Amino acid sequence: MSALPAIEVRNLNVHFGTAHVLRDVSFSVAAGESFGLVGESGSGKSTVLRALSGLNPNWSGTVRFNGRDHVTRPARDFYRQVQMVFQDPFGSLHPRLTVDACLAEPLAIHGIGDPDRRIEQALADVGLDHGFRFRYPNQLSGGQRQRVAIARALILEPSILLLDEPTSALDVSIQAEVLNLLQDLKNRRDLTMVLVSHNLAVVGHMCSRVAVMNGGVIVEEADIDTLRRQGGRHPYTQELLAASRHVALAQPMDQPAMV
Amino acid sequence: MSLYTYLTSERPASRRQAQLGQYYRQWQALKQNPLALMGLVIVIALLMLAALAPWVAPHDPIAQNLDQRLLAPSAKHFFGTDALGRDIFSRIVYGTRITLVIVLLVVISVGPLGLLIGTLSGYFGGIIDTILMRVTDIFLAFPRLVLALAFVAVLGPGIENAVIAIACTAWPPYARVARAETMVIRNADYIAAVRLQGASNARIVLKHVVPICIPSVIVRTTLDMAGIILTAAGLGFLGLGAQPPLPEWGAMIAAGREFVFDQWWVATFPGLAICLVALGFNLLGDGLRDVLDAK
Amino acid sequence: MTDETPLIEVDNLRVRFHTPTRIVEAVRGLSFKLGREKLAIVGESGSGKSMTGRAILDLVPWPGEVLADRLAFRGEDLRTMDRTRRRALRGKSISMVMQDPKFSLNPVMSVGKQISEAFRLHHRLTGAEARDRTLAMLEAVQIREPGRVYDLYPHEVSGGMGQRIMIAMMLVGEPDVLIADEPTSALDVTVQAQVLQIMERLVSERGMGLILISHDLPLVSAFCDRVIVMYAGRAMETLDAKALGKGRHPYTKGLIECLPDLDYPKERLAVLNRDPAWIGP
Repeated sequence: MSALPAIEVRNLNVHFGTAHVLRDVSFSVAAGESFGLVGESGSGKSTVLRALSGLNPNWSGTVRFNGRDHVTRPARDFYRQVQMVFQDPFGSLHPRLTVDACLAEPLAIHGIGDPDRRIEQALADVGLDHGFRFRYPNQLSGGQRQRVAIARALILEPSILLLDEPTSALDVSIQAEVLNLLQDLKNRRDLTMVLVSHNLAVVGHMCSRVAVMNGGVIVEEADIDTLRRQGGRHPYTQELLAASRHVALAQPMDQPAMV
Repeated sequence: MSLYTYLTSERPASRRQAQLGQYYRQWQALKQNPLALMGLVIVIALLMLAALAPWVAPHDPIAQNLDQRLLAPSAKHFFGTDALGRDIFSRIVYGTRITLVIVLLVVISVGPLGLLIGTLSGYFGGIIDTILMRVTDIFLAFPRLVLALAFVAVLGPGIENAVIAIACTAWPPYARVARAETMVIRNADYIAAVRLQGASNARIVLKHVVPICIPSVIVRTTLDMAGIILTAAGLGFLGLGAQPPLPEWGAMIAAGREFVFDQWWVATFPGLAICLVALGFNLLGDGLRDVLDAK
Repeated sequence: MTDETPLIEVDNLRVRFHTPTRIVEAVRGLSFKLGREKLAIVGESGSGKSMTGRAILDLVPWPGEVLADRLAFRGEDLRTMDRTRRRALRGKSISMVMQDPKFSLNPVMSVGKQISEAFRLHHRLTGAEARDRTLAMLEAVQIREPGRVYDLYPHEVSGGMGQRIMIAMMLVGEPDVLIADEPTSALDVTVQAQVLQIMERLVSERGMGLILISHDLPLVSAFCDRVIVMYAGRAMETLDAKALGKGRHPYTKGLIECLPDLDYPKERLAVLNRDPAWIGP
């Protein structure tokens, strides 16, 4: 039985002027899976998300969401299927809109009724109580803003969530809270997630499969477990793994020292 | 709940409370700036004088009294009388109305127009940007007073025509300011987010881009007020703005021109009034810029 | 072990900001000594770690106020020093490397020229001598083809190279102490280790003291000798870098436990429960 992949990408190519930023990128993500895209700056991982989300219309190749072809300028109901969370919590919320207005906007655009109840529910889902509902973004901390951004992405009840470095700008303790939240939401709503990050540890924690990108190409695709136990096959993957491990804690807390 | 607690609550319970709370915080910020407060006081004084002119002015501004011509300032005539025996103080007080009318009419027509053109230009870019900006450049190329003169020469003198003339030359800077601001935020994540919700371009521009540009336009407006008042005064000085016997300050300066050495008060007091009001708007604009820019 | 005067002595450092509405205390009573070693000051945003570095260099912005029972460099009291001497110390004796080379390098001057300028400022050299010393410095930070890189502008170099250039520039004055404020946070992970290694080697070779300010606990445990963990302006714990995994203070333990680790997968990341008692009186 072959279930329809939630996301299927074949030969995705993107050019910025003369620069060929994405070359023949291909991967697929099963429904309910967490897929990671890891790479350093300039690898093209964010460009993949921008093409998938419809933000960048200049791409070529084949992209299918749940079997439906993705077009360069998607129709409005596409956004009820696919949503995105951005990296910078200080730039992703409109400074002049209260949290309430920010969450009401997608509902108004799609003509979805009962906004009050849905907004309260969305806030509760991300662990913010209703005291936050009428605050402005400059009255929220980074972690709180990111929670609002997640609530905003999920209020339209998409089945696919794209995340562009969602915790890179947060303190580690806040990152832990947000990652736990994302995991809970994913399980509860059976979301398909594509997580882009430069941090292999974060991707390793959240995802089951990962594609390693370098210079606009996917150099390797692997199960996280396999990667962890056997290392990577491509030299760049090995370099990335080594660097990530090198800066990992010398000896973790609950493991006995190897004598 | 006291008003203070209501306004400073960290958990506002409604949109109105949130909005009022934000205005209160902005007011607090403005209060820190003594120069801005001074500007605010001047502007408020202008508004009140205009509203209460009939009660404040001791004499009729247009009543001529030829045996009271060119009297020096005294207890009866605070600022003296002009060449036709009219009380200058009363004329200045009533003149606030004319100044206000001109300034408000210009701002109401120019602000929204410049804002719209600027945001459309900045948001869409490409051919729309090119066309709109070239149109803006054409209007920007004319010196304000000269173009105003040309309009008035064609349309005839009078306040309404002066307003149209000034408005025609005053809007380009607003378009420029709005365009610059739009181009900066066009690539912001929050605009991308609302596009990802399926919003139409019209909705994005009107509901999301324009509100960000409004503070810059407001600040630019207050700073421009001085210029508008001076242009109107210039037209009035040349006899092309408000027509006699209306107590327009520029026309008053013109009328006092020939007496400036012996009866200095005829030209000086209207001049001081213009200075003071221009200064007031300027100071207020500066203060507003600091307050509204804070995110 | 030599009993020499510590390079930096800090005793009960307090940094306060007087805003119109209240006093914000960025650092509240921090004490430590720095010898010829690599000391890390670690904390999250708002812990006061950056302000500590700036306080030592007298770079705390207005309306900040720096108070301390003792703030000394090689035994000389920094607080009572006159301004000219204090300013002279900066760059010559105590140097600072900041986070993003994009913002700390002059964008309109070639990088080589900037380093040469620093040389001519600190040592009276002719133009040619300064250029030679610059090229030697660029080699010391492992930049191949220093002659070519000399003429590049900051926007033409990669992040890692920019940071190495920054380090080179900061070592020109031959300082005794280097304060590095998040020097690798803006860099890719494959480059981070390399830049840190260069810094570590140079610091050891020249017998300098290093204060590394970072939010990254695992990183500092690999590169530093000692670590001070800060929270809300205070030091929660001071310990050997290699023993970080055995940290005893609940904040230290909490910070380590909430990190995801590729090799030791966790079901759920532990969430840090902030005990108000840590903030203290």
